[in-house]
Amino acid sequence: MEPLDIELDDGELELPNEPMQVNMGPAHPAMHGTVRMVVDLSGETITKVDVQIGYLHRGFEKMCERGTWTQVFPYVDRLNYASPMLNNVGFSLAVEKMLGVSVPERCQHYRVVLGELARICDHMVCSGAMAMELGAFTPFLWFAKARELIWDVFEEETGARVTHSFGRVGGMAQEPTANFKSMVRAAVPAVLALIADGEKLLLANRIFLDRVENVGVMSKERAIALGWTGVVLRSTGVPYDVRKVHPYLTYDRYDFDVPVGTSGDNFDRFMCRQEEIRQSARIIEQALEQMADEGSVNIDDPRIVLPPKEDVYSTIEGTIQHFKIIMEGIKVPAGECYSYTEAGNGELGFYIVSDGSGTPYRIRIRPPCFATMQGVEEMIVGGMLPDVVPTFGSVNMIGGECDH
Amino acid sequence: MTWASLVVSFVKVLVVVLFLLNMAAISVWLDRRQSAMLQDRVGPNRAVVYVGSGLVKMFLMVPAVLIAGALAVPMWTSMPGLEIARMTQAVEFAILVGWFSLLVLSSNVRRHGADNGFDEAVASLEPRSYFYGGLAVHVFAALLLQVASALSRSAPGSLSASGGVAWGTGLSGSFAAAVVLASAFYASAKVPDGKVGIRLAGTLHAVADAIKLIWKEDLRPKNADKLLYAMAPLLAMFPALVTFAVIPMGSTLCFQDVDKNHALSFVDLGHLANFADRSGFCAVGQLPVSLAVADLNVGLLYVFAIAGTGIIGAAIAGWASDNKWALLGGLRATSQMVSYEVAMGLSITGLLMVVGSVHMQEIVNWQGRHAWGIFVQPVAFFLFLAALVAETKRVPFDQPEGESEIIAGYFLEYSGMKFGLFFLGEYAEFVFSSALLVTLFFGGYHLPFVDPDGLRISFGATNLYELKLSHLAVSLLHIGAFFGKTIVMTWLQVFIRWTLPRFRYDQLMKLGWTKLLPAALINILVTGVLVLGIDGASPAVHAGLQTLADVTQALVALGGVLAVVALITGLLEPTKHKRVALSSSAGYALRAGGVKATKMGA
Repeated sequence: MEPLDIELDDGELELPNEPMQVNMGPAHPAMHGTVRMVVDLSGETITKVDVQIGYLHRGFEKMCERGTWTQVFPYVDRLNYASPMLNNVGFSLAVEKMLGVSVPERCQHYRVVLGELARICDHMVCSGAMAMELGAFTPFLWFAKARELIWDVFEEETGARVTHSFGRVGGMAQEPTANFKSMVRAAVPAVLALIADGEKLLLANRIFLDRVENVGVMSKERAIALGWTGVVLRSTGVPYDVRKVHPYLTYDRYDFDVPVGTSGDNFDRFMCRQEEIRQSARIIEQALEQMADEGSVNIDDPRIVLPPKEDVYSTIEGTIQHFKIIMEGIKVPAGECYSYTEAGNGELGFYIVSDGSGTPYRIRIRPPCFATMQGVEEMIVGGMLPDVVPTFGSVNMIGGECDH
Repeated sequence: MTWASLVVSFVKVLVVVLFLLNMAAISVWLDRRQSAMLQDRVGPNRAVVYVGSGLVKMFLMVPAVLIAGALAVPMWTSMPGLEIARMTQAVEFAILVGWFSLLVLSSNVRRHGADNGFDEAVASLEPRSYFYGGLAVHVFAALLLQVASALSRSAPGSLSASGGVAWGTGLSGSFAAAVVLASAFYASAKVPDGKVGIRLAGTLHAVADAIKLIWKEDLRPKNADKLLYAMAPLLAMFPALVTFAVIPMGSTLCFQDVDKNHALSFVDLGHLANFADRSGFCAVGQLPVSLAVADLNVGLLYVFAIAGTGIIGAAIAGWASDNKWALLGGLRATSQMVSYEVAMGLSITGLLMVVGSVHMQEIVNWQGRHAWGIFVQPVAFFLFLAALVAETKRVPFDQPEGESEIIAGYFLEYSGMKFGLFFLGEYAEFVFSSALLVTLFFGGYHLPFVDPDGLRISFGATNLYELKLSHLAVSLLHIGAFFGKTIVMTWLQVFIRWTLPRFRYDQLMKLGWTKLLPAALINILVTGVLVLGIDGASPAVHAGLQTLADVTQALVALGGVLAVVALITGLLEPTKHKRVALSSSAGYALRAGGVKATKMGA
């Protein structure tokens, strides 16, 4: 047979090729069911990606306009369902800012403690889920076990494990229970021990480090330009933490540090979260120290706070007060304001408008995830398909608040 | 080829297939259960089947009666020169059954309450005490019998002339039989009347899963290639099953040629040789039966050849499913398995150079005579382990099915029992890989100091302890050792899965080609130099090396015994339920003056 030595151009030898387009999500294990990415692949390298959010859109802002101010609390619970207490506190502060009141000091410490516990939960879930999606299942379940300990405290305090709806305008729904302090003091060290165990499995593991280091890098400038806040911003090296820069509640009285990263990669985000858990534990310790054992957690204003149940049934003033707040809602003076707190994922802002009635005229939220998701595309283009997993995991996209 | 040898081959195939399929199912359960232990949650252990108490009693009594008969009757036949050895075996077995039964009874009574005074007396001691006591009695009995044998040798005629030793042997057999029967009787008396739920430590969960899979709807994507789609699971399953054929499950059995026709016949099968030769080869005139399904002289090469075809199943599944994720998974599987096959083949070359054979039986025999493979080729072990995990597509090399990246990879579109076949094939491969590791690096069926003709603790040329064992006893020990080691190996491999995250695809390729491959080549080079050096060395060096090898055997024996003791004491440790949290809804309810009532009564 004749040897096949026809001169061929390189191009003719190659088969025709075009990028493979795959749909990642919304029904994809790494996408949490709430986001869809249309990915163009060349081999395993991502050449183009279209991140589509909105799969968990529930008309949250519109829903808020149909009830009283107090009836918004169950909705804000479901914004960032990994740390509902932080949303509760954030919304209470926003309405209190409109009313021009501030809650008693005991309540401020109480809110700080509950909020920081929620922050620990949030960070643990995020770090754990990211590790789990990389294939390390065990640390995730250890973190989940630690979260159970915190949820036990929440259950005891609020009656609910996840969506507490515990915040109220002008205070909290309940007083702290008698053994609140001892419970928290027992739970936090146990949680920290479990976290240390989980970290041991991950941080001494070359495979894990290889997967997260220098993957999903974001520069400081781009992060600020995109409006990033929270852990994702701090991991790029910007020490912006609302609790430090614009202190609210009693955060200016505690001694805590703001951990920052250097390169803004997945590893930095992971480490920032882990360090923030420890800082939260420090804050909790100081807040418990400073929190008074006696005194009311609600402000003394019958127009805002519900009267005690005995009064409702036994005095005419109490009955009327209760009726007015329940049926008409708290009368928030007409006007508008923007109030912002440091939630699990970053700056959670509420822009609220009131027309002076007992119902919000407009509530606009500024979810930290929404800004973060804008940057995801540039973080994953050029990387490989498996890199989507830790990158998307470490930005901690929460559908509830992103698709507000 | 006689009918008898055909039947023997058929039985061997059946044993392998049943072992692999059952172990595959059990290791699925083990995988989940062990993760539950690591992660502190409840694993799958609730599957239960209800059977009548009569059947349970039968399950307890029938094997007991058979074992008792096998112990009692043949012990009365005379085997000159073996009395002490047989007596030791029978007594030690009786002691084993004795302490184990007491231990089970004690823990059972402690959990469920006593029925009578005997129960109470047994349960007054902790289960662990029975274990320690049993160990002490084991050693004491062995020493006592040694002393007795020394006495009978120093005063010949006094005992053996009167037939005392023969009587002793017979009595010890009957004693062991009585202990077995008594334990079984007492256990079956404990079986409650009516229907009894059997959980078998939760392993029935695997059965429940299989039944579920069989009855699930078998969906096929609309545009899938019908033939290839249906073929792929079988192609993936096939290599896992047939590679096991060359693995020797025990030492070669030697049968006496009773009818003198120089071929294995059914009559010969009833006459196992009384003793084996120390070399492990059958004596002239005896008929050898290898305990590998196919005793091929190409051994390991056959394994590599067949294991290589495992790629086809994954690739075809990925292609035929008409799904982009499945295609990606198939591609990943193909490239990964092709790459790692190279490293796998080269990493084992060092061991083959040392042993000088690819025949599995020969590799095991060599390890028995010298040292286990892991001591001879430690680097190769780790390289081979890594390559093997990659070949079986398990964490951290499970890119082909990385569920968070490409959902389920090449078997994404499979459901029902077709998916079950992939799953079973994967776990069968996993069990096979454990068996291969055991054969190549952990001495196969070999146990330290157990020679084919008996127990012999020796270092170099000095013998410390010697006990002649019958061919049957040694063969049973060997078979037990092989399956035991394989199970321990699967157990260890599961740990890898629950502690490591998975590699990225390019990191995996880099590891294979730039780290494992050069390391394997360097290992070959170093091994070659050493082998040449030792071959030309003086006899003194050889003797020294042999002693060193015996020391490694002693280390293995010691380590093995300690590990077993630690495992049993660990398992018997009284469980402490500690509450970390101060608060819980139950605690809250209790303080409020009531307990939450639940229908479950929990």
